[in-house]
Amino acid sequence: MTSLVDPQTLLAIGVMAVTTLFNRTAGFFLMRLVPLTPRVRKVLDALPGAVLVAIVAPTAVHGDKAMAAGLVTAFVVTKLTRSDFLAVLAAVAVAAGLRVFTL
Amino acid sequence: MTDPSPSPVHISRAGILHGARVMIPLMPGLAVFGMAFGAAAAQKGFTALETALSSGLVFAGLAQMVALEGWSQTWTPAGLLALALLTFTINMRHFLMAASMRPWLGELPGWQAYPSLFLLADNNWAAAMRYRAKGGSDAGFYIGSGLITWVFWVLSSVAGQVIGGGIPDPKRFAIDLVVPAFFVAMLVPNWKGRREAVGWGVAAAVSVTASYLVPGWWFIVIGAVTGALAGGFADD
Repeated sequence: MTSLVDPQTLLAIGVMAVTTLFNRTAGFFLMRLVPLTPRVRKVLDALPGAVLVAIVAPTAVHGDKAMAAGLVTAFVVTKLTRSDFLAVLAAVAVAAGLRVFTL
Repeated sequence: MTDPSPSPVHISRAGILHGARVMIPLMPGLAVFGMAFGAAAAQKGFTALETALSSGLVFAGLAQMVALEGWSQTWTPAGLLALALLTFTINMRHFLMAASMRPWLGELPGWQAYPSLFLLADNNWAAAMRYRAKGGSDAGFYIGSGLITWVFWVLSSVAGQVIGGGIPDPKRFAIDLVVPAFFVAMLVPNWKGRREAVGWGVAAAVSVTASYLVPGWWFIVIGAVTGALAGGFADD
């Protein structure tokens, strides 16, 4: 913990940096060559939501009751206020409160 | 000035300032999540400099936060491949966003267009597309909106790392809720109907099943790709 940058961490960050740069430029480049068909566009449109669900669902299943309650809170608050900021605040408050009382 | 098309695409100082100014209301929210990332990174042993490097070079909050979930101290080639695939999958949306910039930034010389794509992020892309739809042609708007986002993201990440390193038990303060709760908040407005029901249902079922069967992050990649295929091929 004395070094400023761990070589292994730097390597992993570098891999992520190259990958994101590829993501950011490849679509722009390919638009010159391959027009996106409606079907390809539909699949790509469906991808962001699917990524989020594929992260949230296992997190909810493997987490404790406070996690589940917090995620339900986030859903309800987003529905009511349309504010992701308030949703996260409320979810954290509910889960932290539940953990204080159940520990 | 008889040309009926919008004025030629260019980059101006005024455009850069305009783009940055439009993003200001979004910066407090961004800073909160930057700090959340920094705090989570500190829990995984990131130094302040490593946090700054991650935010400054990767500049993709979602991928950075998700990657932390399975961050390890030593990286095998297989682990790095999984990390690259995870990053690639989460940022596939950038592929489409960048493609949508072609008619606009494609007018610029490549040495200006390609570096500017480094600044592509969800919020400033959305703001830039709105500006373009209203007839704007100054690519400086997009660059300015990206630059202010980058500066706030890096600074707030480092601030979070410095503060977060001091939090003794992050679970007690429900810091582990920040990322999944934000994801839930991002999902809600994306619900449009049947296509989402199919795609998200498949993504949920497959990712949960895979999380019991496959180690590491693969459950995300497997669940997301099958979910997107199911959603993309679902008939309206």
